[in-house]
Amino acid sequence: MSQHLITSSPSSSPITSSPQHPSTHRPAIAMRDISKRFGTVIANDRITFDASWGEVHALVGENGAGKSTLMSILAGLYRPDSGAVEIDGQPVHFRSPRDAIGHGIGMVYQHFMLVEPFSVAENVVLGERRSGVNLETARVARELTALSEKYALGVDPQAKIWQLSVGEQQRVEILRLLYLGARILVFDEPTAVLTPQETHGLLRNLRGMAGQGFSVVFISHKLDEVQEVADRISVLRRGQIVATTTPAATDRRTLARMMVGRELADFVARPADEPRAEVDRGGAMLELRGLSALGEKGLPALREIDLEIRSGETLGIAGVAGNGQRELAETVTGLRPVTAGTVRIDGKAMTNRPAAEITRAGVAHIPEDRLATGLIGGMDLSANAILRDYGQPPLCHGPFLLTRAVSAFTDRLLTANDVKAPGRWTKLRTLSGGNQQKLLLGRELAGEPRLIVAVHPTRGVDVGATEAIHDALRAQRARGAATLLISEDLDELLALADRIAVLFAGRIMGTIPTASADREQIGLMMAGIESREAEVVMDV
Amino acid sequence: MSNRLTGSPAHRLRLERVPSPSRGATALVTVLSFALALLAGGIVLALAGENPIAVYLAMVKGAFGDRNGVAEVLVKTTPLLLTGLGVAVAFRMQLWNIGAEGQLYWGAIFATGVGLFVLPAAPGWVLVPAMIAAGLLGGGLWGLIPGALRAWFGASEIITSLMLNYVAILFSEYLVHGPWRDPGAFGFPGTPPLPAAGWLPNLGTTRIHLGLLFGLIAALLLWIMLRRTRWGYEIGVMGENPRAALYAGMPTKRTILLVMALSGALAGLAGMSEVAGIGHQLQRNLSPGYGYAAIIVAWLGRLHPFGAVLVAFLLAALTVGGDQLQMNLGLPAAIAPMLQGAILFFLLGGEVLTRYRLTRVIG
Amino acid sequence: MIRRSLFAVLAGLVLTGGIVTSLAGVAAQDATPAAEPFKVGFVYVGPVGDLGWTYAHDQGRLALEEGFPGIETGFQENVPENPADAERVIRQFAQDGFDVIFTTSFGYMDPTINVAQDFPDTTFIHISGFKTADNVGTGFGKIEEPRFVSGQVAGAMTETNQIGYVAAFPIPEVIRGINAFTLGVREVNPEATVQVVWTNTWFDPAKERAAAEALLDGGADVIAQHQDTAGPQQAAEDRGLYSVGYNADMASLAPDAVLTSAIWNWGPFYSDVVQQVMDGAWESSQYWGSWQDGVVDMAPVAEFVPEEIRAAAAEEVARFKSGEETIYTIFTGPLLDQSGEERVAAGQAMTDEELLSMDWFVEGVDGDIPT
Repeated sequence: MSQHLITSSPSSSPITSSPQHPSTHRPAIAMRDISKRFGTVIANDRITFDASWGEVHALVGENGAGKSTLMSILAGLYRPDSGAVEIDGQPVHFRSPRDAIGHGIGMVYQHFMLVEPFSVAENVVLGERRSGVNLETARVARELTALSEKYALGVDPQAKIWQLSVGEQQRVEILRLLYLGARILVFDEPTAVLTPQETHGLLRNLRGMAGQGFSVVFISHKLDEVQEVADRISVLRRGQIVATTTPAATDRRTLARMMVGRELADFVARPADEPRAEVDRGGAMLELRGLSALGEKGLPALREIDLEIRSGETLGIAGVAGNGQRELAETVTGLRPVTAGTVRIDGKAMTNRPAAEITRAGVAHIPEDRLATGLIGGMDLSANAILRDYGQPPLCHGPFLLTRAVSAFTDRLLTANDVKAPGRWTKLRTLSGGNQQKLLLGRELAGEPRLIVAVHPTRGVDVGATEAIHDALRAQRARGAATLLISEDLDELLALADRIAVLFAGRIMGTIPTASADREQIGLMMAGIESREAEVVMDV
Repeated sequence: MSNRLTGSPAHRLRLERVPSPSRGATALVTVLSFALALLAGGIVLALAGENPIAVYLAMVKGAFGDRNGVAEVLVKTTPLLLTGLGVAVAFRMQLWNIGAEGQLYWGAIFATGVGLFVLPAAPGWVLVPAMIAAGLLGGGLWGLIPGALRAWFGASEIITSLMLNYVAILFSEYLVHGPWRDPGAFGFPGTPPLPAAGWLPNLGTTRIHLGLLFGLIAALLLWIMLRRTRWGYEIGVMGENPRAALYAGMPTKRTILLVMALSGALAGLAGMSEVAGIGHQLQRNLSPGYGYAAIIVAWLGRLHPFGAVLVAFLLAALTVGGDQLQMNLGLPAAIAPMLQGAILFFLLGGEVLTRYRLTRVIG
Repeated sequence: MIRRSLFAVLAGLVLTGGIVTSLAGVAAQDATPAAEPFKVGFVYVGPVGDLGWTYAHDQGRLALEEGFPGIETGFQENVPENPADAERVIRQFAQDGFDVIFTTSFGYMDPTINVAQDFPDTTFIHISGFKTADNVGTGFGKIEEPRFVSGQVAGAMTETNQIGYVAAFPIPEVIRGINAFTLGVREVNPEATVQVVWTNTWFDPAKERAAAEALLDGGADVIAQHQDTAGPQQAAEDRGLYSVGYNADMASLAPDAVLTSAIWNWGPFYSDVVQQVMDGAWESSQYWGSWQDGVVDMAPVAEFVPEEIRAAAAEEVARFKSGEETIYTIFTGPLLDQSGEERVAAGQAMTDEELLSMDWFVEGVDGDIPT
């Protein structure tokens, strides 16, 4: 999080690219007629995909469209059932990721594979099998410095990983792959974890890499980024490439339609500009005063938070991951002890009350990581559906669960929330992220909660499901529920929130009414910079 | 795919969970595993100069060839089943209770104490239920210790329950050599015999005793509990995803205590039924390691109560059939455990392969 | 999910089991021999290769096979002493038509009695126990006699006047052996003491060895033992010190350490029993054979032992073999216990009952009997 933060916003900064027509380039990757099936599911259906040297080729598609499978084949994790892969014109048959790396293919995943207490150079040395001597680190550090300068990555090889921001860690990953000799870089939704400024920096890096002759494959849901950075865009739907186009020849609305195969109501509209439906506001449903709590490592994660949300109001919390969002949600919902301050829900003191009691008070919780907290991947849909209500009639009678009632309850939940699944006996883990989230949301919102704590409700969810989830949250607001919406997606906050508060290092940097929100200003606050304007709007 | 623990981005083999193994594949793998085990054992037998088919037939005949064989298989099934059920219910919640052996001994000690000292003159309809209760209590309390240490101090129940086994076994040895020793046995270790009213009735002239019924009833009740009750559901959720249990406001600590107590109580019942159904006294070497075999029973039975019934029976049949190898065929004694080991190894291996697949990954 | 895959496993097992069972049926029809030979079964607590207790019994079995060429013998090693397993194995022998079954460890006593009730036509001999029935006899030997003589050799050889004794369990059989050995030691060397360590196991080579090492560390220079293996002998051999073997002649295992061994010679007893049963003349009894009867013996004294000690031992052996000396002459008063109190008056011999329930150590034993 260094030099890029102070630069201007994406709109005012022209990206240095000169997209030549791709066909004039030699193909770096050529995948022909790739098919891959898992059981009865055809993940890739005779896909032909190529990317040239010096090109950024974006791959877009809903979750489950087959993007990950295709890239896993490229990375040597899966072998295709049929079809051929060529790298730089040579046919290849990867038997392992090692083979793929040997051919210069580097994957940047959403989750970084870095050891936090180690330095950048040490992390890179760890990746080298042949190393093992301390002296190596110094040599590696010198090479890394050179690479970092050459590709403008701004990474200090001596820095410890834990000192780095998410964006910097991502650049460490890139640097590591470059060091290992990668010339084809595949990015799997790289901007999901970044601030707007970091995103801008990354996109600039991507263009820079392409400019140096690298081949870049960019997987994303965010169509504006795709439009901004890509030379070519391929759209995947249900295991097939439905279109390959260029940014100039298309627009976001068209892309979205191709991805989901239908029109979307307001997916590409600027929801922030739309007037909020007026809702009758009640009293303060959630009231936090001087709230403090510790994080996983026992260090202060929340510092004297003051917040208030009224009925029918949605308060958005913006911020870069790891600035206290998770702790905020957990203290409100009773999963994490409060060390100082008070939580009042509907006027009643709820500080450090058990989670079950807070739930009974009408609080719904859509947690950050649905599979880690809100759902049970290894159990069937029924077990997941009844997680909140299993202890109450009509689902149980005395100690017994009533099978028929559970089944009916589950079926109703699945139908009402449009969860696509073979049946209630299906294991939750086998559902797509979107369907998992719809089930979770449906369950949490079924009881007409008075307060909703929603954390990243659409993370890793495809466009269609995102729309459904946003609609559900709007409906709750209209019904009069107070919502604490924590999201790293500024568009989502702008679309749903009445006010946006920015969390940085466990403190509220400021709260801005959405109507007068300015992305630039929020971005600066997310980076911990209190601009004069930000202070002014705090008092609004 | 994140690898923050080791940080090594090197490639390696990894077992990846298969979301839902198909029914056909599971059956096929099981049959194949069994066949492979027989084949591997057969090769060893052939190398030892034996006809493998004849050896296997002798084993089957020994276990199922006559009434006595079947009866003995069921006798052996009883303690394996009860301890296996106890272990399975704890494992369901990812509580790794390795202490069934010690819990079995405490069940036996409590039951013997009631029979010899508390209610020595009571009629059977009082004494047997009292001894059952004592067995459950003894094992349950012993299971509660690692449970409490885990719930309140986060101590690993693997270590504590394992270590407590030695305490239990040595304490029972102290009793049978010392204060509880039968004064009429010329100083030989072992308690006096239990009053006959406390003996579990046998089925006909076989050694099958009421303990088998305890095991079957316990399996049925456990199945109902796990599948049809709120408590069973909570155990399942806590086992699969403890954070989700916390999120749903489930009483985690209380459930750890109760499950460990239940797990121990079932093992205690096994100890009680061995004492009251077979030996009719507390003595040294009460268990040849049922509490450890229980882990295999639970695991191979996929932590399902009816699976435990099946596997306990299979293990018992392997043991009883294995007797034939030396007794009638004159093979070295080590052959029987070797064949049993091979069969279990292949079954467990096959089990892993149905639930996981081997992949190579980065990092 | 668990249920579905479980039934798949079940189906698989049933299928496999079905095939095997049907094959078994076919074979079972084939195997119907015309005339059953006379069969003798042995239930062993350890492996025959232990060169100790079970080895000695197996030597008896082999002697039986040699003496009765027409008979068939079978055995099962490593049978645990818990009632569930022991009774099953004994029952299986009976079920399989064995005519005589020797159960060779104390822990098999009650299981033997239980099985015997259901098989009245089968003869059972339980080694080392005290319960009998119409078709159950017991068999044991007065190993104390050779132990006493081996004690004399040990008492003559010790330089530190400390002799270690690795003992399994504090039961009368073991206590009696320790006392007889100690009386032998003290007869030739009143200054010497016998230090006892309990292992609480019959068969655990490592533990037995460790116990012997502890005794050697404490200053003992001769190790005697009442265990099932030669672990203690090997510990003495490694230290260059002496030991007295038990069960079988252990000289081959520790040639420089073993002075002599008190040994079992089961062949004659087994042969007698089998002959009597074959003749229909067997009756239940408590057999407690002496050195004179031949069921116990002492291995030759090692050649490195000074000539005069060997000569003295040889004379003593001759007296026992002739019946001039017996276990009763060994345990004849005055006998003092560890506290110096007189337990047997001068000139008085202990009775069988007193010997069989002996629960006190004679003077000169350094150790406790746990209660």
